[in-house]
Amino acid sequence: MITLTEIEHDALVEIFNIGVGHAAASMSAIVNEEVRMSVPSISFLNRAGAAKLLSNKDDERICGVSQHYEGAFNTEAMLMFPENKSLEIVRLMVGESVPLKELTEMEQEAMSEIGNIILNSCVGTLANIFQLELRGSLPLYHVGTSAEILRASGSADDTTVLMLHIDFILEKHQIRGYVAFILDLTSLHDLKHQINCYLLRLTGST
Amino acid sequence: MTETGNMTDTSSMRPDAQRLSLLESVLSAANLGAIVLDSERRIVLWNRWMECHSGCPASALLGTDFFTLFPDLLQQRVGSAIGQALRDNFPSLLSQTLNKAPFALYANAALRGERMQQAVAITPIDVAGAARHCLIQINDVSNAVGREKLLRDQTLVLRTETFLDGLTGVANRRHFDMAMEKELRRAKRVGSALSLLMIDIDSFKPYNDHYGHQQGDACLIEVAATLAAMLQRPGDLLARYGGEEFAAILPETDAAHALQLAEAIRARIDALNIHHAHAGAIQHITVCIGIATQNIPHPVDSGALIGAADRALYLAKHAGRNCVMAQGPDEAQSRIAAA
Repeated sequence: MITLTEIEHDALVEIFNIGVGHAAASMSAIVNEEVRMSVPSISFLNRAGAAKLLSNKDDERICGVSQHYEGAFNTEAMLMFPENKSLEIVRLMVGESVPLKELTEMEQEAMSEIGNIILNSCVGTLANIFQLELRGSLPLYHVGTSAEILRASGSADDTTVLMLHIDFILEKHQIRGYVAFILDLTSLHDLKHQINCYLLRLTGST
Repeated sequence: MTETGNMTDTSSMRPDAQRLSLLESVLSAANLGAIVLDSERRIVLWNRWMECHSGCPASALLGTDFFTLFPDLLQQRVGSAIGQALRDNFPSLLSQTLNKAPFALYANAALRGERMQQAVAITPIDVAGAARHCLIQINDVSNAVGREKLLRDQTLVLRTETFLDGLTGVANRRHFDMAMEKELRRAKRVGSALSLLMIDIDSFKPYNDHYGHQQGDACLIEVAATLAAMLQRPGDLLARYGGEEFAAILPETDAAHALQLAEAIRARIDALNIHHAHAGAIQHITVCIGIATQNIPHPVDSGALIGAADRALYLAKHAGRNCVMAQGPDEAQSRIAAA
C-alpha cells in the first residue's frame, strides 16, 4: 500500500476540497439554493476495505455513479451513497413532493448528473493543478451492495482505492457520501509523483 | 449499370467518400438530436432531427457562433458543459429533471406549444487535423416523463387518502407538516411571501361539555367546511392542526393580504351564528386567528413560523375572543439569518 507524507496528504485534501467547492457552486446554480460540499478526509484502502467502509451490513444497497478517466493516469472514479441517502439527495435537489420507494428512471438520470458534476469537478481540479490532460467517459449509474459496485470496475480485490469522504449540505440536511478512485499501482505512483511536482512548483515559485 | 431515380450511385465513389456519405445518412436518420460545435463554438453540424424539432434549417445555422444564436444557454449548465468538453475533455450529462428543457425543441416545431422534455449529453470529440470539437446529443424523454408523472399522480391519490382528517375531511396534521416544509422551500426558491393562519374555535371545551361530543363534531365539520370554502386558491392548504385548531398555509400571500383574508374568515364564522350558550357575551361560535408571514429576504424555518402564528393566536385569545392578530416572524427568536 502506498503511503503519502503528511504534506502530500494535505495537498491532496486541499485539491479535492477545491474540486467539490466547484461542484457545489454548479449545483447551487441549478437548484437556486445554497449547496455546500466538503471533503473532511481521505484514506487509502484496498477494495475490500473500501466496501466495508461503505456499509456496515453486507446487504445494504448503495447507489453509485462511475466515470472512467484516462490519460496522464488512469482511474475509475465512483460517487457512492447509501440508497436511502441518494433518494434524499435527488429529492432535495429536485424538490419532489411525492417520493416513491426507488429512484425512478428520470431520478436516476438526475443522480447520474450529480455524480457527473462532482466527479468532473474533482478530477478536473486535479488535472488543472497537476497541469495534466485527461479524458473522461460519460457517467454510469449502479445499484447494489458496496462490494458489487466496487467490483464492477473489474479490478482485483487488493486494488488500491483512494476514498474521499464527502459531506453534502443542502437545506439543513447533511448527507455523507464517498468518492472512490480505483487506482492501479502505476497510477498510484503517477499520482504521488504528480503531487510532488505540484508541491515543487509551489515551493519553487515562493 | 443503370441509375434509378435520384439515388446516389455510390459504386463510383472513393471508399472515403462512400464512408462519409454513409455517416451523413446515418446522422440524418438518427432518432436523436446531434449538434457539433468546433473549438470556437461554431455550429458545424445540425442534424435532420434538430431541423425537424427546432424548425431551424441547418443551412441557416452552420458556421454561426452557438452562443450568439442561443445567448440564454451560456449562463446555464449547457454553457459550462460545452466549456468543460472543449477545454477539459470531460463529457457532461444534463438530466431532464435538473435542467428543464434547455433547448427550444418541440414535438411539432410548426405548432410549438410546450417544449419537448430533454436528456442531453455533451461529449468532447477529437477531430483529425483540428482542435477538439464537442458533440451535443439530445434525447426526447417526454414519454418517460409522462409515465412517471402518471405514477406520481396515482401515488398521490392513494396517499392523499391517508393524509385526510377522518372527521372533517380537510388535510390532517401529517399532511400539514409535509406541505409546510415544501411550501416554505418553494417560497424561498421563487422569492415570494408565505403566510400561515392558526385558527382556533373560541370556548370549544364548554361547547362540547354542554352540547355533547356529537354536536361538537358537527360544529367542527361545519367550521372546517366553511374555512375550506374560503381557501380555494391553488396552493392554499387548510389542515386540522389538532382538537379545535385549524391551520391554513397561504403561499404567495403577504402580511396585508393575509390579514384581509383572516378578517374575512373571522367574520364569516361569526355570521354562521352557531348557537353557543356558554360562549360568554356573544352566544355563538367564534374563532380567533393568529397570523405569521414569512417575507423574503428573511426566510425562517417552519418551527419559527408556526411559533410566531401561535404567539399571535395567544395574543388574540387574550385580547378577547372573535379576534385576529398578526405577528411578524421578525419577532420570532429563532429567525434564520439570510444566507
